[in-house]
Amino acid sequence: MKGSRGKPLVIGAAVVLALALAPAGLSPFLVQFLINLFMLAALAESWNIIGGFTGYASFGNVAFFGIGAYTTGVLLTAAEWPFALALPAGGLLAMAFAGLIGMPILRLKGHYFAIATLGVAETMREIVYNLKITGGGTGLTMPITRSALPFFYLMLGILIAATLVNWWISASRFGYGLIAIREDEDAAAAMGINAALYKTAAFALSGLFAGLTGGVFAYWITFIDPEGVFRVIVTIQMIIMAVFGGMGTVVGPLLGALVLATVSEVLSTQLVSLAELFNGFIVILVVLFMPKGLAEVIRKREFSLRKLARNLREYRV
Amino acid sequence: MALIEARGVTKRFGGLAAVAEVSFDLQDGEILGLIGPNGSGKTTLVNVITGALPYTGGDVRFRGDSLRGLPSYAIGRLGVSRTFQIVKPFRNLTVVENVMVGALFGAVGGARALADARHRAEEVLDFVALAHRADAQADDLNVPERKRMELARALAMRPTVLFLDEVMAGLNPSEIDAAVTLIKKIRDRGTTLVVIEHVMRAIRDLSDRILVLFHGEKLTEGPPQEVLNNPDVVSAYLGRRFVEQSRA
Repeated sequence: MKGSRGKPLVIGAAVVLALALAPAGLSPFLVQFLINLFMLAALAESWNIIGGFTGYASFGNVAFFGIGAYTTGVLLTAAEWPFALALPAGGLLAMAFAGLIGMPILRLKGHYFAIATLGVAETMREIVYNLKITGGGTGLTMPITRSALPFFYLMLGILIAATLVNWWISASRFGYGLIAIREDEDAAAAMGINAALYKTAAFALSGLFAGLTGGVFAYWITFIDPEGVFRVIVTIQMIIMAVFGGMGTVVGPLLGALVLATVSEVLSTQLVSLAELFNGFIVILVVLFMPKGLAEVIRKREFSLRKLARNLREYRV
Repeated sequence: MALIEARGVTKRFGGLAAVAEVSFDLQDGEILGLIGPNGSGKTTLVNVITGALPYTGGDVRFRGDSLRGLPSYAIGRLGVSRTFQIVKPFRNLTVVENVMVGALFGAVGGARALADARHRAEEVLDFVALAHRADAQADDLNVPERKRMELARALAMRPTVLFLDEVMAGLNPSEIDAAVTLIKKIRDRGTTLVVIEHVMRAIRDLSDRILVLFHGEKLTEGPPQEVLNNPDVVSAYLGRRFVEQSRA
């Protein structure tokens, strides 16, 4: 583990540099595609903190995305704050909300936690729908900006920050605490880990990055409404990308976002009917072929029919 | 002053008193054997003392300070550790990583940096003779190895008091001998032990004193020979008729 630490940093720096210079040579369409890709990858990395490392499968992370989007949006329009303040406010409020809501619902485990988070996200949508300040069902319109470049760099920046936090978690005492909780919470507690505190911190961190992403999304897309930013499918996408790439790894969510965003972009322009089925296919394929994700398959270079057969037996398909 | 003073510890599940008014002292440096038939409340007593279950009544003092109401992680950091009867490995971590968690989060003054924790974990694995499996996945260990890893994780916490909940279950006779030697070595390094065990030979060899639970209550307490020959203890384990037969 020690000797290989430098290598991902070098590769990462090279990729970031290439991406930072990319807009100059790309068509507007591709720049928009990349902004979307960065957003999905940042969301997948944010979900990975609570779902991948800590093992709490949140089905409501879109709530933090929506809170970030709406906080930034309302501050930008009604309060006329500058974006440079409205965006961090959105991120911090999402983080605070995640921390507060996390304290009670992180006492639940497994399916119960998943359902509770789903309920939180749906409730948030209804609340926003019925508030005056958010514009209710008609939504909010942001001031229009001419260039997509600021959004490109902002999304890239958030993605880098989210990835670095995941990387730090993977090699820190805090991360060992989260993984121990995921593996066996009773044993973790007996070994001196303050599970309630650690889980809440992980959930809040997850909320911070989802909220920041939502804030940038709101300004970039210029129009938000409750149906748009509190969609369950956004959470599902985060989960599928993280699971596809490899939960609880740093590069997994990145790989997942890259592959799935690209494929679904191609499908949605070429074969719309298939695009709808795509997420379902992915789940089935992942479970059968690579339960530990793409990152693990690449790392171990193993992909065999025998493994498929074993998984078929194991999951009683 | 005893290291641990338990007074009237009680745990009820509805109408059932799993542990009823149990009091005992644990002296610094001793090995206390905790025995009793299945369902007599041994594990429940450990769960209550280590904060895994809330008290119904009573109190336990560690170096004079009450442990009642503290969460289990806080009790672990004070220096009171335990192993689980049904081992709870972190399956997707390697053996050394499992043990590192104990070093990272254990008793105050532990190894908080990853490199220090790894170093301490390797030492402990060496001590429990599991160093050759350090880089194996915890999931790939066999039962005796898992028991030893469970023990190593607790030891990496540098506990003052260690509760061992049936670490010998499922071991063969030569493995039990090795475990007895190991547990004595742990005591010699300064850890006070409470050993729950069904293997009577091991309990007799290990314990300075034995405490017997029966239906959640303390049946008796004393030196091994005296306790194990006590007719009440024999009848608790084997039934009244067996005592009468052995007298006849």
